[in-house]
Amino acid sequence: MKDQVKKWLESGTVDIFLGMKMVDGHPLPHAFTLGNISDLEELVPGTVRYPLETFAAELAAENPDARIGLAARECTQRALNVLSLWNQAPTDRIETIKLNCCPSPLKEHAACSYLDPPEAGLFKKHFGIDNAADPEAVARFEPRERFSRWMYEFQKCIKCYGCRNICPVCFCEDCSLEHKDLIGTGQLPPEAPIFHLVRAVHMAGRCIDCGLCEEACPADIPLRLLYRKVNAVVDDLFDYRAGEGEQPPPFNIIGERPSLEPKPMENGSACPQR
Amino acid sequence: MTLKRMRFLQEVLDFVGLGGRLHMEWISSAEAQKFAQVVTDFTEKIRRLGPNPLHAFIQPDMILRPRVVAASGLKSTAAEKEDAKGSLPFTGKQ
Repeated sequence: MKDQVKKWLESGTVDIFLGMKMVDGHPLPHAFTLGNISDLEELVPGTVRYPLETFAAELAAENPDARIGLAARECTQRALNVLSLWNQAPTDRIETIKLNCCPSPLKEHAACSYLDPPEAGLFKKHFGIDNAADPEAVARFEPRERFSRWMYEFQKCIKCYGCRNICPVCFCEDCSLEHKDLIGTGQLPPEAPIFHLVRAVHMAGRCIDCGLCEEACPADIPLRLLYRKVNAVVDDLFDYRAGEGEQPPPFNIIGERPSLEPKPMENGSACPQR
Repeated sequence: MTLKRMRFLQEVLDFVGLGGRLHMEWISSAEAQKFAQVVTDFTEKIRRLGPNPLHAFIQPDMILRPRVVAASGLKSTAAEKEDAKGSLPFTGKQ
């Protein structure tokens, strides 16, 4: 990987390469360029994740000519697909080096921080929702119990906005979660469950299921589970899976798409002849 | 498209335990009877479901409330009993 990056930088395939650099024993996001090519020695693949595609999109917007290289996981690739659909990342100027990630029957060994999540404690299992549960298991609770369990989770929220800030597909300049007319701002705890449901609805057809929000959450709210359910509903209703294909997300389309060709006008007039 | 959006919202609300409280029906301006029927049915349905459990949570003293709300303890405070009384305007004294 180091040789590949070096070759890319020297040949000018990319002007800047984003990856993780080992700093005092901690992998941190770092931009490698020809100027600091000696830093490449400390480039690490590792299990630690960070949404580098966010930096790539920002850099690409600020420098319209820069070519950007990226150490990309499978979730990074899906995020780039979504960002390019929303016109946030010019994928023709972004080169990626694929990292070993997301285990499958073909490759069991994968490097990802999500593969070994902490196990939920007894209290959380009893009153809340286990982060490792699947949406169907949660849907099997009685509605009243389900509500109580979700509210237990949502009430722990300290409104740090960590889920939004880490999210690779959250790019809006004006965020609904900070809009004083939409959500009560400046109060703690946030308005539950509105705060969380607004974010959940905005993730519909957009969430790439990377799980970074859940990792970032200091209150251990099962956000990935919630967004997974939201995306399952989108898949069910619209036959749309975020991060795959070139289709625009379903919630962007207003009204039905016209299925009939417009009728050609006769004699240059739209009115029928009498 | 609107139908699908509503279905989406209904399913998301149902997933967090607030299901059955959202309804959409297409009624022409000429279908007064259907309108009355739909509204009556939905009112009955909501009455059977009882007051919105969310109401117990959205209060200024939320931060002082116990963090864990057991399913049975939802309607325990005096304020909520007051709400339960107020939510039935067509019975009793009135």
